[in-house]
Amino acid sequence: MTLQECYAAIGGDYEAVIGRLRSEKLVQKFVLKFLSDGSYELLCSSLEEKNYEEAFRAVHTIKGVCQNLSFTKLQESSSRLSDALRHGWTPEAEDWIDRVKEDYQLTVDAIEAFRLESEAQ
Amino acid sequence: MKERAAKILTASIVLAVIICICVFSFLAVYMNHRNSETIKDVGQLYMSGMNERITKHYETMIDLQFSQVDFLEDLSREENVDEEELHKILSDDGASKGFESLAFYYGDGDFDMIYGSEFITENEEPFMESLKEGKNKVAAGKDSEGDSVLILGVPYEGDQRREGCVAMVATLPLDYVAEALSLDDEGTLVYSFIIRTDGSFVIRSYDAFRDSYFQRVRELYDETDGMTTEDFIKQLQASMEIDEPFSAEISSQGELRHIYCSTLPKSEWYLVTIMPYGAMNEKVEKLGEQWIYMVLGGGAVILLAMLIVFLQYIRMNRRQLKDLEETKLLAEEANRAKSEFLSNMSHDIRTPMNAIVGMAAIGTANIDNKEQVSNCLKKITLSGRHLLGLINDILDMSKIESGKMTLSMERVSLREVIESIVSIVQPLVKSKNQNFDVFIEDVVAENIWCDSMRLSQVMLNLLSNAVKFTPEEGNIQVFLREETSPLGDEHVRLRLQVKDSGIGISEEFQARIFDSFSREDRERVHKMEGTGLGMAITKCIIDAMDGTIEVKSRQGEGTCFDITLDVKKAPAAAEQMVLPPWDMLVVDDDKQLCESTVASLESIGIHGDWVLDGETAVEMIRQHHEEHRDYQIILLDWKLPGMDGIETARRIRSLLGDDIPILLISAYDWSEIEEDAKAAGVTGFIPKPLFRSTLFYGLKSYMCEESSESGGQENTGDFRGMHILLAEDNELNWEVAAALLEDLGLELEWAEDGKICVEKFQASPEGFYDAVLMDLRMPRMNGYEATKEIRALSRADADIPIIAMTADAFAEDVQRCLDCGMNAHIAKPIDVAEVAKVLERCIEK
Repeated sequence: MTLQECYAAIGGDYEAVIGRLRSEKLVQKFVLKFLSDGSYELLCSSLEEKNYEEAFRAVHTIKGVCQNLSFTKLQESSSRLSDALRHGWTPEAEDWIDRVKEDYQLTVDAIEAFRLESEAQ
Repeated sequence: MKERAAKILTASIVLAVIICICVFSFLAVYMNHRNSETIKDVGQLYMSGMNERITKHYETMIDLQFSQVDFLEDLSREENVDEEELHKILSDDGASKGFESLAFYYGDGDFDMIYGSEFITENEEPFMESLKEGKNKVAAGKDSEGDSVLILGVPYEGDQRREGCVAMVATLPLDYVAEALSLDDEGTLVYSFIIRTDGSFVIRSYDAFRDSYFQRVRELYDETDGMTTEDFIKQLQASMEIDEPFSAEISSQGELRHIYCSTLPKSEWYLVTIMPYGAMNEKVEKLGEQWIYMVLGGGAVILLAMLIVFLQYIRMNRRQLKDLEETKLLAEEANRAKSEFLSNMSHDIRTPMNAIVGMAAIGTANIDNKEQVSNCLKKITLSGRHLLGLINDILDMSKIESGKMTLSMERVSLREVIESIVSIVQPLVKSKNQNFDVFIEDVVAENIWCDSMRLSQVMLNLLSNAVKFTPEEGNIQVFLREETSPLGDEHVRLRLQVKDSGIGISEEFQARIFDSFSREDRERVHKMEGTGLGMAITKCIIDAMDGTIEVKSRQGEGTCFDITLDVKKAPAAAEQMVLPPWDMLVVDDDKQLCESTVASLESIGIHGDWVLDGETAVEMIRQHHEEHRDYQIILLDWKLPGMDGIETARRIRSLLGDDIPILLISAYDWSEIEEDAKAAGVTGFIPKPLFRSTLFYGLKSYMCEESSESGGQENTGDFRGMHILLAEDNELNWEVAAALLEDLGLELEWAEDGKICVEKFQASPEGFYDAVLMDLRMPRMNGYEATKEIRALSRADADIPIIAMTADAFAEDVQRCLDCGMNAHIAKPIDVAEVAKVLERCIEK
């Protein structure tokens, strides 16, 4: 699996990210680094504790990271969730939490697959 | 409802008038009554006092005369004087005392005259009685000439010399008494008589001529208050008999008089004092009349005031009703406009929706036909985009209508704004084969403070309308001019004009064009799409910027929108825009553009000539070539009358060879003519509009190529060695930012949150950091708070440029950043060019 294919699987915009970061190596480094980013765990735990302010910040960070890496799909769902949580809990947030979880899982799975493959080479 | 209110009002006015009249009339009548009562009381008091005074006066006068007579009587009893001598003494003394005559009285009319004429006593009996009893007494009588006299009698004591002598009597003229008592004093209202019990006058005064007072009463006086003159006389006589004062009112010829009668002492006489009320009454009545007039006048004033209040109230009421009606009409109109809009909208929304649904169905049916599917998808995308545009407009409008629109003022380069608008409009214009041109005049301040997004929105709105409503081959022109602003030197007045030769707008619609949800309802615009919100939004934005927008249009001839904005100038870039003093030729068919371009060129140090067509241009270049003072650069318009720009370039090249740069200027997209132009020998391209900076940057590279070889990159250069503090809580984001920004030569320091950022800044030597890049959402302390803390530090570099970096790009967020004291705002994801631009701008400030 190439990095390009990985982006396709994630629903990201490879062209955009390579346009900004210019080097494939750099992109790969950051993409792999995404696996160890703690924001998603923070989001989940904050939601469980019903600390919506913290949850908003966490999902906002996810949105920022996705913007940087051009993970368009996850960026969109996290953006919607951050809008829903901006002023505390709203009923729409429920749907978007599921979407974010789904998209995040998709993203992480794809990156994980890419990592295994590139390490095997 | 109206009628009922009027009825109630009229009724209350009438009632108020009646109450007023009643109250005031009662007051007038009552006061009048009280007046006459008071007059009566006053009269009574006055009269009794008057009578008493006259009586006293009379008493003292009579007593004085009695004492004189007493003295004479004493004298007459002197025994040592003989009779003759005595007579002489008595005569002399009596005359000196003013007595008319003096006599010894022996009773029964028998007088022994001492001197003076003889007299007869009237009513002798009671006179004698009193004298015999030893009392002084007065009586009236007549002298020999028939004149009335007052007779004073003093009892004679001892009868040694005159046997049978009862008294000594002396007479005084009765007029003397009347005068002494001033019974008939002119000048006072009051007059008095002295009468006897039978009514006959003792002393007449005033205008009395009859013998009896009773006679006078009978003839002069009228029946008063049910009392006849006879009753009056009877009552008077009764009072006289019991010696009591009598007081009554009686009228004579309609004039009321007060009469007061009391007994005079030492006589059988009565003093009658009369006061006519006439004069007093006149005065009092006058007062009463004045009273009534005042009261009535007062009443009238109150009524008038009430009437005015009522009328005012009625008028106000009417106006309110009218206002209400108007408001209702307006509301109905607005409602109608909204429902009309909804029906239009539902049509407008349904059309692209139908396309989307239909195309999706076709695509699904032909899922294996790749070409068909991609065609369908393309159409879906187009319709979707259109739908999005509609929805954006509606959302924008609702935001504006609810007053939530905020302008985010930032430093804006007019050049960038116009260029970006031109690049958006170009494909539209091209697809409709219209002629498009941009004219820039007298732009002295290219950088201004404005909301660039909103400004672009306005311009795009106007331009897209112009494109929409102008037929193929029509003209669309944009003019930008700067004038001095009435707000002072810090500001500049922008005049933006968008002109087209389209179908125009009817006068009737021109009045409503800036209303929400209105669209001209005509056959020819029916197939055009749009929400009818564009112009309303435009108007709202211009209003928010404190500007004005006007429309001039004639149907079938075209439309011109004219925007006037007063904006604050922003400081120009530090870079001095000066180029070497080259000679240049500008070729364009528009004289105004030539002139303003040449003026701009002069301001950056270049000398320019201009011509209006290709043929003249070639001729001029040839001339200059022959004179060995060639132009160093030639600016050529692409579209020229007769010989076009490319042909002209070809001719020039054949004349001069490849040495001199020939630059094409055009508002059209360069790419479509690039090939032809290059082939014809055109060196490069400068896009219209020709701002000073456009010319400077456009020409600079060519100038540099020729003057020095050290041109190259100017955009991303001078950040080497700069220290930047970057606050970002997410490690991944930090690394991305670091990787990107280190390319610019920046030296970055990472602060994991706002608190650390403030601490690191505090710990650094002053002036160490050149700027702070600040994420907004961070744990512990967010970007806004961190900025405020840094700004509050007492360090010389507390005003360090702070640039926000965030995933939110709402105008409100940007505004909040600026409000917190940040200098600028960059949206994520980080774009190196954007960061470089913003950094350059902030740091040079």
